[in-house]
Parts: sequence; structure tokens; C-alpha cells
Amino acid sequence: MGRSRSDLVVFIAKRLVQLVPVLLGVIVITFFFTHIAVSNPCAIWSGPKASPSTIAACVRNNHFNDSLPVQFYYYLLGLLSGNWGTDPLFHTPVLPYLLTTFPETLELVLTATAMMIFVGIPLGVVAAASNGRIADHLVRIFYLSGWATPTYIAGVVLAIGLGPLLGVSGGDFSTATPPVPQITHMSVIDSIIALNGAATVDAIVHLILPAVALAFINMGIATRMTRTSMLEVLPLEFVKTARMKGLGEFWVLYKHALRNALITTTTVLGVTVGTMVSGTVVIESVFNWPGLGKYAYDAITGYDFAGTIGVVIFFAIVVVVANLISDILYGILDPRVEWR
Amino acid sequence: MPESLLKVEHLTVDYAVGAGTFRALNDVSLELAPGRVVGVVGETGCGKSTLGHSIPRLLPEPPAKVKTGKIIFQGTDLMRLPKWRMPGVRGTGIGMIFQEPINSLNPAYRVGDQIAESVRIRKLREHGLTPRVKPDVKGFDYSKRELPKAADVVTGPFIPPNVSQTLKTRSPPMTKEIHAEVLDFLRLVRINDPERITNLFPHELSGGMRQRIMIAMALSGKPALLIADEPTSALDVTIQAQVLTLMKELMEEVRTSILFISHDLGVIAEMADDVGVMYAGHMVEFGPVAEIFESPRHPYTKALLRSIPNKYKDEGVLPSLSGSVPNLSKLPDGCTFNPRCPLARDVCRKKPEPPLATLPPGPLGQVHKSACFFPEEVPTMP
Repeated sequence: MGRSRSDLVVFIAKRLVQLVPVLLGVIVITFFFTHIAVSNPCAIWSGPKASPSTIAACVRNNHFNDSLPVQFYYYLLGLLSGNWGTDPLFHTPVLPYLLTTFPETLELVLTATAMMIFVGIPLGVVAAASNGRIADHLVRIFYLSGWATPTYIAGVVLAIGLGPLLGVSGGDFSTATPPVPQITHMSVIDSIIALNGAATVDAIVHLILPAVALAFINMGIATRMTRTSMLEVLPLEFVKTARMKGLGEFWVLYKHALRNALITTTTVLGVTVGTMVSGTVVIESVFNWPGLGKYAYDAITGYDFAGTIGVVIFFAIVVVVANLISDILYGILDPRVEWR
Repeated sequence: MPESLLKVEHLTVDYAVGAGTFRALNDVSLELAPGRVVGVVGETGCGKSTLGHSIPRLLPEPPAKVKTGKIIFQGTDLMRLPKWRMPGVRGTGIGMIFQEPINSLNPAYRVGDQIAESVRIRKLREHGLTPRVKPDVKGFDYSKRELPKAADVVTGPFIPPNVSQTLKTRSPPMTKEIHAEVLDFLRLVRINDPERITNLFPHELSGGMRQRIMIAMALSGKPALLIADEPTSALDVTIQAQVLTLMKELMEEVRTSILFISHDLGVIAEMADDVGVMYAGHMVEFGPVAEIFESPRHPYTKALLRSIPNKYKDEGVLPSLSGSVPNLSKLPDGCTFNPRCPLARDVCRKKPEPPLATLPPGPLGQVHKSACFFPEEVPTMP
């Protein structure tokens, strides 16, 4: 049948192996783009008052006099041995910093994804159930306005308009207030682990607006896909069968119709979550959220090659894993799919 | 004459298509006594499926619109119930089997779970835990042959008055019980290894098996009325015969009332006690099957009966009815059947057909109704 548990393991293993060439490609592209665009950033890194000997040392340390393939060889060697390069300004290693900022972004993206799932999908169901009537139009207005809003506008409006109401002033949403031990680097989860109520509330307050902004602009995809596939599913005979069992409309819609409509929504949602991670670059900069997106922005504007490539590697991993998860969910939702 | 279980009175249904509308059902009336099987027969597009779907109010509105008429089920006019109360009638009151077994099971759930859901709904209603239309009716026991009294539906308060009490005194139906019932119903439809079947998904079953499961599912709600909408039309001929035999046996065992919709006169003759013949949204003849087959009193019925092939005789070319069902949005003037009717004369082309009128007893001594101007001329029809 191709649907046993061992098939699933093989399927996941295969997809993870595919991750290797994807990562290699991503690394090659970013490495050569950054190094061709700015072939010798040592003058910028060392600052305007640096002595020629400092710059020369910088060039030597970073192999900038060697040919590009040789530089790439050195970089790859470092990457494999766990040395992902250093920050040009403070000479701190990149990898630990990536590992602490990534969970912050993940927290933001997962919260936004949850909002898309628990708000966006039901909205799609409501729209499909009232196809062509007033509720359908209201839902459409809602998600189209999300779609049409540029990311930074949604962010700025929420940060300036609602931020003060929640007690977050100056548009700085990085949670710092009551310090709790950083275990997962997701502020909400860390505060819950520390059993610190005040910190938890504070973390949620800081999280909610960036997450809403991120979810609002991406909501349309979930809602629209759900609506379209619900409209395909609702005229099918098994929906009538469900009604004829004596089930109420709620169960007909959510247990029988949505279960089948979700199959397409899940695929699209997987792609969206992947792109949403890179979409955090703008949102995190607007809200001053200490995550990967903001780090990406800082790294690119600061000619931080190691940081840029590191961020891109993380983005690539997230995209692949998000798609893998959506493929697994697809198979769980649709029993006709075989693991291949 | 026992009190009727279902009475459809002057039902008229319009469909809005594009800018225009057409009349799918025109003043259709029908009566079904408890324990009887009523067949509805007609060509494709004559409105028989619309009739079947309109009884449990499954018609998609829009485009469909019920203009006039009553659907009196166990004394309650379903058309006057608010839509949100209809689920209380479905399942335990009215069950339905659909035409396409391929699509009528949910592809995402295991067969056993789908039947269990239906059993659970009935059990909850029997325990008074979910709203249903008439609370204190017991489920109908199919193992004993008696007239179904299950879900004598509709009139009780929407929220059962004794919810808190029931919750304390009776535990809700156990999963084990439900599972056992699921297996029972699978055995009822002659499935030999029900344990294995419950764990399968619909796509792992053949069309005939799926239709058996549909039948089991509809019966597991123990409905007082079962509507079978062309249950065998989408199946292969051999499977058709199997499913029909099964349904015939089940009718003996279960003795529930059935509204059997089919385009196949042979099937209707096998299954039904009464038959209604439909043409272009009208009910043109209604009465006991034997009587109608013996002496049809509407030219359309007569023509239909003539076009059944006879296995044993070689009579040359099979007579067929010339012309086709008229476009429902452009019905002819006068009687809708007049362009194809060999008996048609001036009055048929001018006046719309008369309502169903009771005729004097026929050769078998039973009465039936016809909607023809000249029913007495039909036996001598050329």
C-alpha cells in the first residue's frame, strides 16, 4: 500500500537528504553574490580611521587576496567544522547568534501561522458557506485588504497606532522587561517555563502586534484557498450523506467538508509559512523584533557576509522543513496518498 | 387505510438558471403509508430526484426554490420547520441512499467510523442527549418484524427538558456498544468480514461494496422513511442485481417505508407496492404497481411499458417513444405530453393537463389515479 509507518520514515529521510543539495545551492549562490558584489569589504569593516596595517591584517585573515573558489573552499571548511564566520564589527561568532535569534523569529512565525489556521481557515469556511451573500463579501474585503496592504504599512500602523495602547512605547517590541532564563529563546515559552506570570503577559503583549501584522498580510492565502476548495467540496454527494445522517450544519461543514478541503489548503500553507519566515525581514525591522529577519537586515546593510549566508541557510532549512511538514500533513489528511 | 407516514401535497419547485427559471416539480402530490414501498419512475430530468431531495429539504437553495406545497412527515409540515431544526428529522426520521456510491462516502474517514457516526447520532437521540424532534420514541428494532415507529419525529421541545437528569442517570452510549452495532449493520447488508471492512477507506472498496455500506449507514439511523434515489443506476449490471436482491431481502427484514426512485420500470415492478409515474415535473399516474402495469391509464405510462424489452419473444423492432422529454424551460402549451401523445387532440393542446383524478377500479379491482383527459381511451391506444 505504501502507507505503513516505515514508508513514512523512508519518505522523511529521503526529503532530508534532498535538503543537502538545496543547502549547497543556496550557499553557493549567496556566497558568490555577496563576494562578487563587494570583493573587498575590509575598508568598510575596519572603519574610516583604520590604519593600513589593520586593513591588511583583515584582508589576510579573510583570504580576500585569494581567488573566489579558494575563498569559498575556506568558508565551506569553516562551515563544516562549526565555525560559521565572525561578525565584522565585534568579531563575535555568527552561529551562536543565529541560534539565539532564530527561535525568536520562529515564535513570531508560528504565532502568525496559528492565527492563519484558527482565524483564516474558519473565515474561508464561513465565506464558502454563505457563498455570494453578505458574510462572503465581508470576508473578501477583510482578506483582500490584508493582501493589498504593504507589509511596512501594516507594521507601522499597528506599532504606532496600537502599540501605546498595549503599553509598548517607541515601537520597540523586543521583550526585555522582566528577565527570565533564556532556554528556548522564545520569550513566551521561556516565561512560562520560568513560571513568571508577569513576564508571560509582557511577552504575549509584545508578541501579539508583530504576529497580527504578519498574519494579516498573509491571511488571504489561507482564507481564499479554503473558500475555493470548500466550494468544490460542498456540492459533492458525501456532504449530502453527512447532512442525511442528521448532523448539524457545523459538523457537516467542519468535520466532513473542511477535512477534505484542507488537503489543498495545507499545501499552500506550507509554502506560505516558508515565505513568511523571509517576510519577517520587514516586520522585524519595523517592530524592532530581535529575530532572524532583523539580523538579516543588519547583516546585509553591514556587509556582514558570514551573517548573511548564515541567515539564508536558516531560511532555506525552514522552507524545506515547512514543505516537508505540509507534505506529511497532506498524506495524513488524504488517505489515498502514498508516501513516496 | 392507515394514517400516512409521508404526505407530499401540491409541491412545486422552481430552479433559477441564469436569467430564467424552470419548473422542476409542478403540483406533485404523493402519499406513503407506513411500511409501504412507493416507487417513482420517469425519464432523466423528469424531476424524480428533485422530489426525493426536496422531502428532507436537501435541495440547494438557491438555485432551487420551493414555491408552494407541504411535506407532511408524521403529522408535521417540514416546510414550516426552521432550517436549523431539519437535522433533527434527518437520520432517525428520514434516511437517504444516493445514486453515486463513488462520491457518497467521505473519502477521508474509515468506513467503520462513518457508520459509527450515524449510530452515535441515533443513540444520543434515544438517550435524549441531543435535540430531536420528538423525544420519547424508542428506536426501531429491525430484528423483529413490526411497523417502524422509530423517530416518530417532530413536535417536542427543541431542547430536551431532562438533559441534566439524563446525564446523571444514563451514561452516554459506549463506544464498544456502537462498534458492535456497526458490525451488526454491516452483517445486515451481507458483509461477511465486517471487522476488516470497518478499517478500510472508501477508495479501497468496490462500487457495490460502497453502496452496501451506504445502505448500512442509512439503516443504522433506523429511519422511519428511507429514500433510495436511484441506488443501483451507477453500478454494473451484475452488481445492480446483487444490490437489488439485497434491498429486496432487507425490505422483508426491515419493513421500513421506502420511497424508491428509479428510471427502470423493471426495478420498480420488483420493489414497489405503489408507483408514481412522472413526466416533465408532473405526476401523471399514481397507484398500485400491479394495477398500473396491468392497465395503464396514461399514454406515457403505456408507452414506457411497451418499451421494456421482452426476453423470450422476438417481436422485431422494440417500440420506442418518439421525441424526447421537453425542455423544462420551454414546456409546450396545453398538456405537457401532447406533442408525443398518440391520443392528443385539440383540448390537449389548449388546456393544461387535469390534476390526478381517481379512476374507477381496473381489471384487478384496485383504484388508481391518472392525469389524462381521456384515461378510458388508453387501453385501446395505437
